[in-house]
Order: sequence, then structure tokens, then C-alpha cells
Amino acid sequence: MKSKSEIVEVKALPFAAGFNWSTGFQMQRFIKELANRKILGAKCPECGYTYVPPRSRCGKCYTKIGEENLINLSGKGTLVGYTTAYVELDGQGNFQDLEEPGIIGAIKLENADSTIFMPLEGIKPRDVTEGLKVEVQWREETKGELADIRCFKPA
Amino acid sequence: MRRNVAIIGCGQTKHSSKRRDVNVAEMVSEAVYNALEDAQVSLREVDAFVVGNMQGFGGIAQPEQWLGDWIGAAGKSVIRIATGGTTGGSVGQGAYYTVASGLHDVAVAVAWEKHSDSKEAGATTGLLHVALGNVFHAFSYGLSLKNLVATSAVGAAAGVAVYQAVFYMHRSGCSIEHFDMVAAKARRNAARNKYAHLQWPGCTPEDIARTEMVAYPFRYGHICPASDGASAIVVAEENLARKKARQPAWFKGLAAYSDEENQLQSENFGGVGVLDPSEQKGCWMSATKAYKMAGIKDPKKEIDVAEVYQPFPSQELIFAERLGLFDEGTAWMALEKGETDIDGRMPLDPSGGVNATNAIGSTALQRILECALQIMGKAEEHQVPRKVSNAVAHGWGGVTNYITVTVLGDSPGR
Amino acid sequence: MGYVKEERPTTISVEGTWNVGSYHYKGSRLLEEYVKGLKQKKLIGSFCPGCGKVIVPPRNLCGRCHRIMDRRKIVSNRGTITCFIVSPPMEKGKLRVLGMDPVETGLIKEGEVVIPVFVKFDGSDSNTDTILLNVDPKAVHIGMRVKVLWVKEPQGALSDFEGVEPV
Repeated sequence: MKSKSEIVEVKALPFAAGFNWSTGFQMQRFIKELANRKILGAKCPECGYTYVPPRSRCGKCYTKIGEENLINLSGKGTLVGYTTAYVELDGQGNFQDLEEPGIIGAIKLENADSTIFMPLEGIKPRDVTEGLKVEVQWREETKGELADIRCFKPA
Repeated sequence: MRRNVAIIGCGQTKHSSKRRDVNVAEMVSEAVYNALEDAQVSLREVDAFVVGNMQGFGGIAQPEQWLGDWIGAAGKSVIRIATGGTTGGSVGQGAYYTVASGLHDVAVAVAWEKHSDSKEAGATTGLLHVALGNVFHAFSYGLSLKNLVATSAVGAAAGVAVYQAVFYMHRSGCSIEHFDMVAAKARRNAARNKYAHLQWPGCTPEDIARTEMVAYPFRYGHICPASDGASAIVVAEENLARKKARQPAWFKGLAAYSDEENQLQSENFGGVGVLDPSEQKGCWMSATKAYKMAGIKDPKKEIDVAEVYQPFPSQELIFAERLGLFDEGTAWMALEKGETDIDGRMPLDPSGGVNATNAIGSTALQRILECALQIMGKAEEHQVPRKVSNAVAHGWGGVTNYITVTVLGDSPGR
Repeated sequence: MGYVKEERPTTISVEGTWNVGSYHYKGSRLLEEYVKGLKQKKLIGSFCPGCGKVIVPPRNLCGRCHRIMDRRKIVSNRGTITCFIVSPPMEKGKLRVLGMDPVETGLIKEGEVVIPVFVKFDGSDSNTDTILLNVDPKAVHIGMRVKVLWVKEPQGALSDFEGVEPV
């Protein structure tokens, strides 16, 4: 007679596999220019669709986009969608209630066609509406990393 | 009702040890657009994509989900297939099924691997992630760490094929010198293939024999590299194929049989049920079925070139026998006589094979691609100097137990 | 002459980790019988009623005829080597496995030669993966007769089976 469960739980060895993904030239320019507080977008020479962050091939018409098609964006934009988070995960499967709800906005920057998803600060969840004008907030010291864009705030 | 299907174009990237100048999407799209150009097909004419890689090596789960709009797949069907080392073979066969079934008319198959994205040397991360899940289970029953490290350290360094090689040497009488010969031939052939990774013009078996022994019987010079690269083929149904290509490479026979896993003691650390890892039953079952479907009765006479999946030189000999190209235990004698050179009676791996270029996801697709190039007459410097009517492409993977065999020809045969 | 070398430009990288250690796997209790057998210095295998194969350590399903292997047989402690790999003398800094250097962490001594082998025990029809100890590396050959080397006090764990040694 089997009284114990047939399943035994197994703990793995603490082994973490590290990766470093190369970015390609367009993304490299974007990341490096963040140090100068500049946001770059890529405008397709064929159909004009502008991507931020930039890429080397248009996803609409599949034309190649080169370094000469990079344009400067102002860092100002419009909120096209948003959500509010009330909990976060701690990496061990546990839920942690957030003291202040966190707002994540889908932002369409001026002169760009694609949206980026960034945290929104300086506003209460009930005051957020679509169409809100926002602008970028940089980190104190910009080092040329993705984290240099800290968040967005209402303009 | 099964339709006739052919390969009408092929594209590859140059394979090298580190493609740090591009990200994964750019590398894969290089191969796709090269293939479309070779086939003279525009993206508008493509209906479906079949993609594949081994996601553990590059550390990106489900890459096809964001690669889609770099390779032109928006608005088309996309499937990803991942079957270990045979990924490329399954991807190629998947493209065949997509078109032969009548569901679509033109499909693009692309497979790739970007090993340089992993911090561990070579292909270690990926190999470990295949093995680890089963091994961790044994720790709760007191598996000794020394035992695990000893068997996996030495095993992983030389690759899982060492056991196969020792069995083959014992069974057939071949020696390490034959492995030196195969490795030297692979690097010489790769020097004539502008997309291959390890190119060594004029490499001799003595050059290989001078390298250090990693684990008997493999030397550093025998072992395949870990390359970054992608390869793609364009597959079309009969009418379009005849219009687009002067000499399409027709799919005549395919099969993919796997055997029970024969080395790793997985499934809860149970024993390995196959006593001889070089038996490779799946290979002769697949070859038998593929030849029957292709109408080939005597492969020794009817096959003009074979692309065998051989990351390790012993496998070129083992699998060539299993594919029916040589009698049991005699492939090494044919190698000595020069029969497997590019201008020999039975050329094996004129492109250099996996021993010279190994971007794991794409390698088995490259075997199909290289056979297609030989049939179409587009292999340039490594074209075999004879009319190629039938070619066989082979893929091997899994835990030494998955096989795909594809037979291509210069006419549909039906 | 040597390999043809190729130079390419590089771009910056973005880093990430995949924490394999954070997974909790589920296994079955199939090995429980096996390790109980090890405590009594016995090797237990599963028996297929279809083809008659005995697999050591036990498994659920026969790989070739797909029948459930619910019967057990005991195999001999003696067997034959069916396959082997001989490593060169292990050195520090040459190899990293699971993020560890085997020599540095003391698991393997500097200069030690490691010989993983496949052993077919008498009565079993499967290969068992283990290491060969107390032997001159040059003497290892396929067909060599070996027997299990047990630890002094078997505890009922896989480590009771330290390895095999020549008869």
C-alpha cells in the first residue's frame, strides 16, 4: 500500500547561466547617446515609420534602416495607454504589496510612431487620462546605459 | 494528395566564433534575405515561415515571437521547431510538410544559433541545461558531487560522442589516425566554402595529430567549434519551382526516427537501455524509410554525395555506414583510399560539415542546404566534380538519439 | 599554415542571467528502492516482461517495447566495462563545471586522471554510468572485469556506490 506521495521535490544546484547579448549598431548608438541625454529614433527611408528604440530593419516594409536614418527625438510625448500596479513579485514567488501604486504608461514620443513602456511618476492614478502630455526624466548621472531614462512625468 | 516540392534558393551568413557586430534578429534576417535573393522570390510571394534554434544556448526563450517582423513574417504563419541537434533537419522537413500538404505554396525555413551570447565557453550552458534537470533529481538520493563532476566534466569537455567513438573503434578496428584524417579533410574542404568557420587550407592529418589530447580518443583538433550563424532555404511547390529555378533540388524522401536515449541516464537517473551508443538504430530506420520513399534501391551506387552530421570525426564514419553508403565497419578503409574526398567515389561533407562549422540550430539545415547547392550546381569552389542526381542529408541530435534523413534529387521521381 | 582568421567589429552587450538554480523540480520515488538496495550492497534493476531486459538503476518504461517495467531483479556486483574515457591529468583552471573548478574546490586532486566508464553488470542489459578507481590508466580496455567499490558504511544513498575497481 502506498501511503507516501509518489512525487519527490528536488532542489537544484545554485547555478546561474550568464548571457551577454550583442546589440548591433543601431541599438548601440541609442544606448551611447543616452549619456548625452539624447533619445534617438530610426525613420524608415521607404515608408517613414519611426521606431524608438531604433532598429536596422523596418517591420512594416522590411527596408533596411541605416545610421544615416537616425533622428533626434525631443523626449516629450503623449500617453496613449496605461495601467496601475498594486503588487510586485520578489523573485522568489512571493507577492509584495506596493506602498504607492505604480503607474506604467504606453508613451508615444513626438515624431515617433512606436510606443515605449515606462513608469509614470508625479501624478495620482485617478488623475491619469489618455492624451496626457508627458516628458522624460533623466537619472542624476547619465552613464550611457538603458537605466539613464529614469521615468516620465506630466509635462 | 502529396505534391512535389523543391528547394529553389539558399542563403547563409558567414559563420564565425563571435558575431558581435549584429544582434540575433539582424543575423537571422541576413540569412533569410540572402535566400530570398538567391531564389528570386519576393516577400509578397512567401506564405509561411518555419524557424528553429536551441533556445538554451542563446538564452532567449521563444525568439521567433519577436524575430517575426525582422524576417518578413508579419501576416504569415510561423512555426518554431526545436529538436536538439536535429533542429535544422526538422525545420527543413517542416517546410517540406507545409508545402507538400497543399496548405501553402512557398515556405521559408530558417535556423540559427548565436553561441557568443552565452558567457560560458563554447556550448557549455546549453548542454548543461539539457542535462541538469535530470541530474538534480539524483541529489535528493545522495548523488556524490565528485562522481557527477568527474563524469560530466570530462564528458562535457569532449562531448557526448566520445563513448560512441570508443565503441566504434573497438568494433571496427579503426584508430585515432583515421579521426585525424577526417578532421583534416573537413578543414581542407571548409577552406573552399566561403561561409564555413574553421578554414585551414592544406590541413594535413599530422597538423591535427600535433594538438593536445582532450579525453582519449579525441584531440583539440578533432572537436567542432561553437559558431554564430544562420542558414535559410526557400521551398516551393512544383509549378513555381520549375518557373523560378533552372535546376531545383527536389525532396524525394524523408524520415525522422528517434531511438531511446542512449547515454545520459535521464528519466529519473535510470539505467541506459542501449548497450552500444554507436548502434544508432534510429539512423538505419530513417535511412531505410527515406530511401524507399525516394525509390533508391542501392544507396552505394545511386547516392552521389552525402552530407553527414559529424561534429566529431568518428561520427562521419559511423553514420556513413548507417546510411548504407559503406558496409559495416569498413568506412575507415574507404577513407584511407581517398574515396570520401571531394573528388572521390563517395564524397562525404564537401562543405566541411559540422566538424568545421557548428552553429547548433542551423547545422542540420545546412546539411540539406549543402545537398541542394550540389544538385543545383551552385556550390562554387566545393562543388563535387560530377553530375549530382541524388544526395542524402543527415541530422543527429537529442541525447545522441534523434535522427533526420532527407534525400534530395535533381528530379521529383514521381 | 593554420586557420584563416577573421576580424569583425564589435558592438556593446546587454547582460542577463538565467537562474537555473531557482527551479524546483519534481521527481518520482523510483530511485527509493534502488538506494535501499545499495544500503544492503545489492544492485536492483527493473525487468521488462516483454523483451526480458533488465535495466540498472530501475526505470518506468522499457525504451524499445514500451511496456511498464514493474518487476525487479537483483544483478551481480561484478561486471564488464563496455566503454571508457580517459581524461588527461586534471589541472586547476582548465575546466569549469556548474560554475565550479573541480580541482580548486578540492573535488578532484591536481594531476588525478579521471576515468568515467560504462559498466554492464552480470545479469543486467543496460549500461551504468560510473567512474573507475584504483587502476593504471594504461590498463583500461573494453571487456575489463570490474566489481563495485562500496563505501565502508552504506547509508542508503547513491554515494554508497563510490565507483568500480578491477577484479
